[in-house]
Amino acid sequence: MPETFTFGDMLSARSVIGETLAAEGAKRDNLWVLTPDIGATLVEFRDTFPDRFIDVGLAEQACVGIAAGLAYDGNISVVSGMLPFLSMRALEQVRSDVCYPNLPVKIIGTHGGLVGNGGSTHYAVEDLSLMASLTNMTVTSIGDPVMVGEVLRQSMEMSGPIYIRLAVGKKDKVLYAPGEHDIRIGRGIVARDGSDVTLFTHGTTVAQALDAADELAKEGVSVRVVDMWTLKPIDAELVIRSASETDGRFVVLEDHLTYGGLATRISDVVTDNGVNLTSFERLGIPQVYAGFGDDEELRNKHGYGLSHTVDALRRAVQAQEATR
Amino acid sequence: MTTAGIDPGEHRSVAELEDLAYELRRKLLELCGTYEGAVHIGGDMSVADILTALFQHGLRVDPSDISNPNRDRFLLSKGHAAVCMYIAMAIRGFFEYDDIVATYGQLDSAYGMHPCKVQLPGVEASTGSLGHGLPLAVGMALSARGRGEKHRVITLLGDGETGEGSVWEAVMAGRSNRLGNLVAIVDRNRQLMTSFAEERVMFEPYPDKWRAFGWNVVEIDGHDMSQLVDAIDSLPDTDSDVPTVLVCETVKGKGVDFMERNLAWHAGSLNPTDLERALASLDASRTKENA
Repeated sequence: MPETFTFGDMLSARSVIGETLAAEGAKRDNLWVLTPDIGATLVEFRDTFPDRFIDVGLAEQACVGIAAGLAYDGNISVVSGMLPFLSMRALEQVRSDVCYPNLPVKIIGTHGGLVGNGGSTHYAVEDLSLMASLTNMTVTSIGDPVMVGEVLRQSMEMSGPIYIRLAVGKKDKVLYAPGEHDIRIGRGIVARDGSDVTLFTHGTTVAQALDAADELAKEGVSVRVVDMWTLKPIDAELVIRSASETDGRFVVLEDHLTYGGLATRISDVVTDNGVNLTSFERLGIPQVYAGFGDDEELRNKHGYGLSHTVDALRRAVQAQEATR
Repeated sequence: MTTAGIDPGEHRSVAELEDLAYELRRKLLELCGTYEGAVHIGGDMSVADILTALFQHGLRVDPSDISNPNRDRFLLSKGHAAVCMYIAMAIRGFFEYDDIVATYGQLDSAYGMHPCKVQLPGVEASTGSLGHGLPLAVGMALSARGRGEKHRVITLLGDGETGEGSVWEAVMAGRSNRLGNLVAIVDRNRQLMTSFAEERVMFEPYPDKWRAFGWNVVEIDGHDMSQLVDAIDSLPDTDSDVPTVLVCETVKGKGVDFMERNLAWHAGSLNPTDLERALASLDASRTKENA
């Protein structure tokens, strides 16, 4: 039996974006907010600063180009939308109009990963790979809705662009108590410390990673959970340190293709720095178009649900150290 | 139309502007005879009169104060005509023509095939990929409107470029946001890179397409300096509600008989013999027009 809810209820977890932007807009008369018809999270800004709110309708390319034009002229532009479209349909505008001249355009949106039952047109599963390949782009993926506000505030101080991938909808859990972590762009968060294995993750799967760590704790295994919410620039120091502090055992869990996202960036750090690992396993979306289902069903189907994560952590701690 | 803080420059007669357009074309050909790589000479020649009318007459810009907030913004959406813009800007006093000739396309030069704002301050935007200039211009026009600034934002597009969907997204955004300070100029030379436009893409009825999107449409001969000057001088007030497009009928390769309407001359280079032929043709066409 479904419970009654409306479009507005589904998006209510996003109100932190609108409130933060409205607060920043009051401090900065050069802050503009643009959207291609995905403005429900932006009402606080829209209603307070209607002259600096631009909804272009269904026109992602122009939306990003207009944002760049504003930024060329000394403004800060926030573009909010659905990431499959902003990261792919407008990719060239992001690359050539925003990143090439290194303009302060902040791209924020939802539908990263297998979320929302939209089908593969509406899943951004390549976005972190695409964005991380762009020179000048900072790439983030955030699972804690409250943290979004802090990152948005910090992004205002950056001279260049940033990509902010959000978890979607009403299932967002507040992961961190206020002040619990030092949130800084480019720094990973040790969401749970541990000494046997490190589980790296970001965004929509942080909550699941913490649940998996709880399961392993019952078996006496100490899992470090790293919320590596900034994928670029990656916190290489934390990766290297975690290798030595958790016996060289890494599992990477992400709501993204297993190649091109966080796992790839961590493996780059490992390779570039000559870090010796005992084990390394990627959990994420394989090279398939994933089909329909709710978030949890899709993760389970495609091999990166909670039970898969628990199993991968068990394999990691059982792996024999390589003979060196 | 005057803009506070910027001297519109010398008031030049149409005849003087025609002389400057000739000088621009001559310099374009000379560069084409100096640089060993290909220059987009066809599209350069088709916009030489438009860019002369803008940089030597219409644009309120100051080469000694390139960041003045009240300057008109000009974006070369058809970025492959960069050389023509560089030289037009050099004639206005932004750059040294000799620097352009000496370094064009060389390693670490500020002057490349497509303009880069980071490499070449004074250029308003980094362009080259087609269909990007008008969205950028909409953003700049919104910014001007938001600050109460009275300058214009003008962008020059090729007609072939307007096959890009992003152009029409921005056409709608410009009208929807009532940007009377926004001006698009279309170089309607009716040629794509490898074919004549209407053979491949049905652009006609072309001005009607812009009218249907609610723009103020002005149709002129893009090689008639007096029409260009009149059109620029007659632009609606920047506080008005409707953006303007100048649809300029032009000829790709204009001024050199063997380049005009010749698909082979989208881009190329000239050996000394052909440079002489081209310059002779340019002089002959000028004599004919003055007759």
